[in-house]
Order: sequence, then structure tokens, then C-alpha cells
Amino acid sequence: MAGNPRDKYCIVGVGETEYSRASGRTTRAMGAEAIRNAMHDAGLTPDQVDGMLSYHGGDSTPSTSIQYDLGIRPNFYMDCSGGGSSTEALVGLAIGAIEAGMCDVVAIFRSMNGYSNIRIGGTGARAAAPIGGPDLLKRPYGLISAVQQFSYTFTRHMAEYGVKSEDLAAIKVAHSNHASNNPKALMKHRVTVDDVMNSRWIIRPVAHLLDCCLETDNATCVIVTSADRAKDLKHKPIYVKGVQGRGTKPGGDFHYQHGPITRVAGHYVGPRVFELAGVKHEDIDLTGCYDAFTYTVLLQFEDYGWCAKGEGKDYVTSGIINLGGARPNNLSGGHLCEGYTHGMNMVIENVRQLRGTVDDYCPDAIQGEHTYDYSEGGCRQVRDAKISMNMGWGTPAVGSSLIMGNILN
Amino acid sequence: MPNFTYRGITLSIPDNDSEYKGYFEAAAEGRLVVKKCADCGLLRGEPGPGCPWCTSINWEWQQVSGKGAIYSYQVVAHTVIPSFRDLTPFAIVLVELDEQRGQPSEHDGLRITGNLVDADFNMEAEANVGIGKRVEAVFQPVEGDHKLLQWRLIDEPAQGFTWAHAAPSA
Repeated sequence: MAGNPRDKYCIVGVGETEYSRASGRTTRAMGAEAIRNAMHDAGLTPDQVDGMLSYHGGDSTPSTSIQYDLGIRPNFYMDCSGGGSSTEALVGLAIGAIEAGMCDVVAIFRSMNGYSNIRIGGTGARAAAPIGGPDLLKRPYGLISAVQQFSYTFTRHMAEYGVKSEDLAAIKVAHSNHASNNPKALMKHRVTVDDVMNSRWIIRPVAHLLDCCLETDNATCVIVTSADRAKDLKHKPIYVKGVQGRGTKPGGDFHYQHGPITRVAGHYVGPRVFELAGVKHEDIDLTGCYDAFTYTVLLQFEDYGWCAKGEGKDYVTSGIINLGGARPNNLSGGHLCEGYTHGMNMVIENVRQLRGTVDDYCPDAIQGEHTYDYSEGGCRQVRDAKISMNMGWGTPAVGSSLIMGNILN
Repeated sequence: MPNFTYRGITLSIPDNDSEYKGYFEAAAEGRLVVKKCADCGLLRGEPGPGCPWCTSINWEWQQVSGKGAIYSYQVVAHTVIPSFRDLTPFAIVLVELDEQRGQPSEHDGLRITGNLVDADFNMEAEANVGIGKRVEAVFQPVEGDHKLLQWRLIDEPAQGFTWAHAAPSA
């Protein structure tokens, strides 16, 4: 691992738009707002941002359009094709671009009308479009949406390890409790295991409706620069201790031809990111584990080594992942409750957590004063959070991870 | 190869589709084929251009028995594809073929997707789907001379690891 840049780069600004299901505007308009908010958060002016990175699935607006809207002139930009687990990887690529001398400050953004325009689930016009390539052997059988694409992995997991739907529901319950203390969350009400179990089935045996994330219109942004450059910016810098990905398991898109089918990319990504960051599992205070579906959370907890393979059901029902627990997960409510952002909001939340200025319902939250009363409509700040870990999910075969901290090793 | 349509979905298989054209030509004749490496001889479950084990790009189509066991599955209770809504709940199965099971390494196999159907190509009852159940390839006539691979339960003892979810009572 030559050239490990541990603690030399930081996230200095974060921002987003409203999470909604009817943005009523373009991805260009939302992207401009999110980047603007992140620049203001960092205390940066447009002439100080000279790098842009974005990712999309044909549903965003290029950097070269949005730069005009904000008066940014990049010395470096790339608009990458990508989905979940791109966030963490692009933080690494931003560091690489800065390290290469191509630019100094990079705004990473994702903008998507994920409900009102191009739905992740592939509903409507997308489902009717002509197909070619690998879809020829899937879609004629009704296999299209993400919950389906990943489900062979988890049906087999449930079979081999005895996971129950109730175990998965505990993840939704935890994230909904967190979201109830997040004014931005699209779904703020707390739900119970019974609520999840009584919601309609989507795909048996892996997902009820409430096991699925919320398709959302939104844009999000994080800004990366060097630790030196961060010194005179507004917030205390949140250091990138280690970043790894997007890494894959053997077989890539055809991972189910190889095995074990229940293994996901975290098995390969995890050891590398821990080594880069120079920390151990017990050093991590909070996690951000990609919750496209409740089962993606459970699979990743196992393969990143938070518990033994097959014991994810015990980990997620133990209380560890709940606010007030030993290592709470997805404090903003994540994709299941705050909104679906292709992973960006989980990184943004962990930056705010590490700053100590999470935007909960505490009256002086923005000054970092929290009540630590975690009841509904209250606080969601983790006490004395120092190190966080994000685990991004693309598919069972694709993942990225980011370890951040507010202290130096 | 001309496009064809099944349940409102147009399958586009141009003549330069070096991955899938031969597969669908064989399917139209009621034959299940996979790609065989012309150098190391290993079969592969996805009809890709190169051999995952020896990097050879020389291959030929190889007909297989079409028999195997359900390795994993999903039952679609809600579909986002309008033309499939009248079928729910229906099973999509990942079938592991008998050929090359556990080769070249322990967890490898030739795994192919399809619906689980009955003798009339209607969707099989949900209560009858399960990991380990034995199946065979059948070919459902669709538009023109085209046929679509499907899977049908056969009367053989379940194989290896077996499991099924509790299907809701109808």
C-alpha cells in the first residue's frame, strides 16, 4: 500500500437539497443547490473550488453544465457512470486528483430525480424499453429491479443461516428511530417490527415494502481537500483515514456463478480499508452501512467482520446498531428513511456526526450543543464520536468503504 | 437475428451479438447451450467472450443435459413490469446444472435463470419452489419461431442442501 495518504486529506464541506418525491425541477437545478450549500458549509467561494466529480446512471447533469451555474472553473472534472458505493470511491479519486497536482479542492456531487423521473426500480417506460446483452437472460423472466437483482444472494443466505424476516425488520426499526430525530428525513415516523412484517410483500423471502429504501428526488455534495488547505476553512476537518473501492468479488456482474454466493464485496474491501486507516473494528464509533434494502445491511455487517458469517441476525437485533447502542448505524435514517441518494447521505451524516453538529431537534445543535435525549423528536448526535466507517454497496459483488475521523492516529 | 417480443418486452439480438445470438438460435431448436472453452475445455454459466480460468478467447457452443437443481430463487409478489402483473406471485429460479457442479473450485457451478413453470408453461405454484428441487429445461414457444428457456420440476429426489420459505396460504 505505497503512498498511503492517511489523514492528509479531509472532507470540509457537505450539503444537500430537500429530500422529496416531487422536486419539480431539474437535476441541474438541484445539483447547483447542493454544491452551493456544501461550498457555503465549508466557507469556500466558487473560485476556490477547482475540481468536480459526479456519478450517475444517465439521470444527472454533467459537471460542465453546473459549473456555469455556480461560477466554478474546474482544473479537473470527471462525470462517472456509477451507482451505490461510488461515493466512497470518488472520495479516493478526489484525493488522487489532488495528489497528482491536477486540482486542490474537489466537489463530489450526485443529483437525481429518483422518484419523479428515473426511478431506481426501473418502473414504467424503462421496463418497456428493448433489452439486449445480459438482460436477455433476466428480464424475460420478470427479473428487473435492484431488490430482485441482489436477491439470489440473500435467499440463499436466509436458507443457510436461518435469518428471519423479523431480523431484517429490526434494521428498519433502528433506522426509523434515527430518522425520527432528523428534520430532513422523508419518512420520519418510527415503525415497529410488526409494521414491517405487515407491509406488503415485494420479493419473497427477502423483502417486504418497508425493507426497501425510499426512491427520492435529491442532490448531495461533499467537498474534499488537503489537510493543509483545510486549516483556514470553517469547520474542524474530518480526516480521511482510509478509503477503498469500488472493489469486487470474483465474477463481477456474474458473481453468482462463483461462490460462496452469500459472500459480498465487503469481504475483499474490508481488510484493505482497515489496514489503510490503521484502525481496528473496536475503534469505530459509528457506521454508515448502505441500506438499499435491509438485507444489504446485514450482509455487509457480516462480511466487513462486525460479526461472524451467519451471525448478522444477532448483530442487527442486539441493539448495537441503535442510537444509544455501542456502534449505531445510519444515524440520519439512511436510504430506508431519510432518502435514497446512492450512498451520499450516509457519508454526509457521518461528517456531521464527527463534527458534533448534527442537525437534529436540539435547539443549539448547530453550535454542537446536544441533549443526548434520543426519544422521538429529540437528539441523534452520537456522544464523543471520533471515528466512523462507511460501507457502500453497489451489488453483492461491488462495494467501497471509507473510514473518517476527527482525530489524527 | 430478428428482434422478438415476449410479454411486451422486445428482445434485441443483433447479428453481431457474439454473446447471446448462438444461445437464442439453439433455444429456438429447443436446445440449451453454454459456451465451452476451446482450449481448457471448461464450460461457463454466462455466455461471455473469454474463459474466466485460462483467458482463452476461443470457444464453441456446447449442448448440456438441461437437468439441474434450484440453487436459489425469488418469488415476485410485486412486479414493476406491467405485463407481468397478472402472473404474481411467480417464481424466478437460479438453477445449477448437473454439468461441472463444484468445478473448477468448490463453490463454482453453471447457474442459469428462468421461471419455474408447470406442464402448460403456466407459473408453478409458489408452494412448490425450493432450493435443492430437481428441474429440467423446457422451451416455451413465443413469438415467431422463437423459444424461451424455462424450468420445470421433475420427479427426482431433491439434491444436496434443501430449503423453502413458508409460502403464504393462497
